Amino acid sequence: MTEARERTVSAVVPVKDGERYLDELLHALAREGVDETLVIDSGSRDRSREIARSHRAELLEIDPREFGHGRTRNLGAQRTSGELICFLTQDATPCPGWLDAYREAFDLDERVGAAYGPHLPRPGTSPMIARELSEFFAGFAAGALPAAGQAGSGDGPVVQRQGNPTFLSNVNACYTRRCWEGVRFREIAYSEDQAFGADMLAAGWLKVYHPRAAVLHAHDYGAVEFMRRYFDEYRGLRATSGHVEPFGVRDTARHVRRQVAADRRWMAAHGFDTAQRARWTARAAGHHAGRRVFSALGSRSQLLPAPLQRGLSLEGRDDAPVAPESNGGASMASATEPPVGSGATGSSPVPPSRHIARKLSGEVYDVIAQVWRDGPAPLLDPVTGMCERERLRLAMVIPPFSRGSGGHNTLFQIFTRLEQRGHACSVWLADYYGYARAVWPATLRREIQEYFAPFQGPVYKGFADWQGADVAIATGWQTVHAMLQLDHCRVRAYIVNDHEPEFYPASTEHSLAADTYRYDLHCIAASPWLRDRLTERYGASAEAFQLGVDHDTYRPRPVARQPATVVYYARYATPRRAVPIGLMALAELKRRRPDVRVVLFGTSEVLDASFDYEHIDVLSPEQLSWLYSEATVGLCLSLTNFSLMPKEMLACGLPCVELAGISAESIFGSDGPLELAPLEPDRIADAMQRLLEDPEEWQRRSHAGVEYVASHTWEHATDEVEAGLRHALREREAAATTLT
Amino acid sequence: MAGVQTSDEQQLQAEVQRLRARVQQLESELLEVQQRANAAVAEWQERAYWLDRWHIDLNALMRRRGAEELRGAVRAVRAVVRAVRTAKRRLGRS
Repeated sequence: MTEARERTVSAVVPVKDGERYLDELLHALAREGVDETLVIDSGSRDRSREIARSHRAELLEIDPREFGHGRTRNLGAQRTSGELICFLTQDATPCPGWLDAYREAFDLDERVGAAYGPHLPRPGTSPMIARELSEFFAGFAAGALPAAGQAGSGDGPVVQRQGNPTFLSNVNACYTRRCWEGVRFREIAYSEDQAFGADMLAAGWLKVYHPRAAVLHAHDYGAVEFMRRYFDEYRGLRATSGHVEPFGVRDTARHVRRQVAADRRWMAAHGFDTAQRARWTARAAGHHAGRRVFSALGSRSQLLPAPLQRGLSLEGRDDAPVAPESNGGASMASATEPPVGSGATGSSPVPPSRHIARKLSGEVYDVIAQVWRDGPAPLLDPVTGMCERERLRLAMVIPPFSRGSGGHNTLFQIFTRLEQRGHACSVWLADYYGYARAVWPATLRREIQEYFAPFQGPVYKGFADWQGADVAIATGWQTVHAMLQLDHCRVRAYIVNDHEPEFYPASTEHSLAADTYRYDLHCIAASPWLRDRLTERYGASAEAFQLGVDHDTYRPRPVARQPATVVYYARYATPRRAVPIGLMALAELKRRRPDVRVVLFGTSEVLDASFDYEHIDVLSPEQLSWLYSEATVGLCLSLTNFSLMPKEMLACGLPCVELAGISAESIFGSDGPLELAPLEPDRIADAMQRLLEDPEEWQRRSHAGVEYVASHTWEHATDEVEAGLRHALREREAAATTLT
Repeated sequence: MAGVQTSDEQQLQAEVQRLRARVQQLESELLEVQQRANAAVAEWQERAYWLDRWHIDLNALMRRRGAEELRGAVRAVRAVVRAVRTAKRRLGRS
């Protein structure tokens, strides 16, 4: 995407005693055609300011105490106006073609927010540093994803995105103003460029490494200064990324041996004679050993006393929070930013802040933010007759699960049957919270088989291996946004097990769950009530399917009914189960009929109650069917969509009490086999008492229940879901036909 | 004139039909490939269950220092054991 007009370019060069290369640098900027150059001098005692003025560069002088790597560069960006902002250090001289390379980098994609180039060693640079620079930047050219139409190595630009290295260096980097405005440099003591690199990728920007955007650059430090600089660098790295450099004597010895050998190979390849090689070998050993030690010390600087930190730091700085002593009249901060610290106005009541190192590679809901920002990935063009094709490629995206998850059981009962019908089925786990972090894919697959159904297809964690699908199927609010980003899909559909916003109080999750119904996904809802809610409240395209019952398992067992026994699904951890109301109803029943035996099941948690009861843990389907077959009354409440459990109780001949006025009527009608009661403890107790004391009513409900759910099979549910998936394809085809 | 037009339309229709049939065939091939890929990955996951369950990445393990040497040593011992067994078998026969 090449822009017709060339973007204006500003260069910002922070300087302190930089006369050695400044003249050469400013000449190079003029040669490259930079529109505006800003030199920020923080107390030079050499000719730096004079050189800047002689080149007609804008000169901004700041108090050295005001200098901060991130802060000063933010200031430089604010003070300039170019659409592209280049940052260089005072000892980095652009090579010919530098600016053209940057322009090329930003023309690759409008999402490119930053670009950087290699640092080439100056003549006379020590072989250790020269080799390190060459090898370090060569790694970016070879390793990252190539830009469209570009080779992954050589001298072409390489696009880097989230997941690629976050490296960025303000020795030689260029930013779009829009990206800088959106991300800005953090005001941290060191490594502001690295932090920016991570922040911008996380925010969805791209960056580009361009091998031709090169500068000549080398620090001509002495051996001790090098070590002190490494101390600073690794201290900064710890602060920005949490990285702690490992250290061990044997490891260090091995590391030094390898590095010195590599240096020697490099020297041999670059024509060093034997005497030079011998001299540099000794220095290389000292350099690499010292580096290892000082890097490790820098990573652990918080363990060192402040005076020692200042002594080890090239910048003479310890880890104490840095606050300017004074705003200093015309200082940088007073001109552009709110004053930091107390200085002139006395002590602040605000306690000192504590730096918290970055722990996560991204925020939990980054995927959702990306969908909001970029929209869903485009769908493939429809193919005529695709909804009628006998076999389809189906990819189901699921949230993490655990044993006993009713929603997952429904999904896999159906998906396994779709697989048995010949569809090419795969399962993809979307795991925002890392719940399944420790579970590898083959284990996930086996757990699905053990907990739910004998699914035979592959199971993937994440979407790195995504292959496209005729229908991508979301199955819970946590899967929708991830699925919307998947490309190469003919259509997307959404199996909705419940109205999930109701699982949460007013919260982020409540809003995000509601958001999932607004993407024109064809919804296949697990009850007519839920279908109506989706269409009426969100205007979604939706149809319903009936939950099936496994009649091989859930059937009346040859066991005598226990007298006056109520079994209650008391899953307290699931608020929509209204357990406190259920317990109140049972307490009332026990008050009226002390002889009633109450059994709570479905949770390992033993609940405190105002009456005596029996507790059974989580049961297997087989055990449940026996429990339902010997009880007299079942109690199972749901404040949202109707669940499978009352149907399974009915299938075992057990009359069941559910809540009226929510979702049950949409399946059974108001006078069907279920005994319905409003959400009032006394009325629920009335319903249970009626079933306990009226044998005719009990018999009627029991027979009606068995009869009614006989036709509710998983095969039938699969028919309905399959029809829903085909409906989604048909709608897509029709929409495309209408457009053309 | 009308006859020419009709012939053109017929040709166009025939071409559309041919292309549709080709798309159908390619879609069908894609599904077959997907089925085979799914089966291959599923089979691999079946085989790798215990490795995944115990979080063992054999590639990473074999990249560790000494792993190749250990493997070489095991092979050497195995070769010796086999040689001895073969020799015993031959001696037993003779």
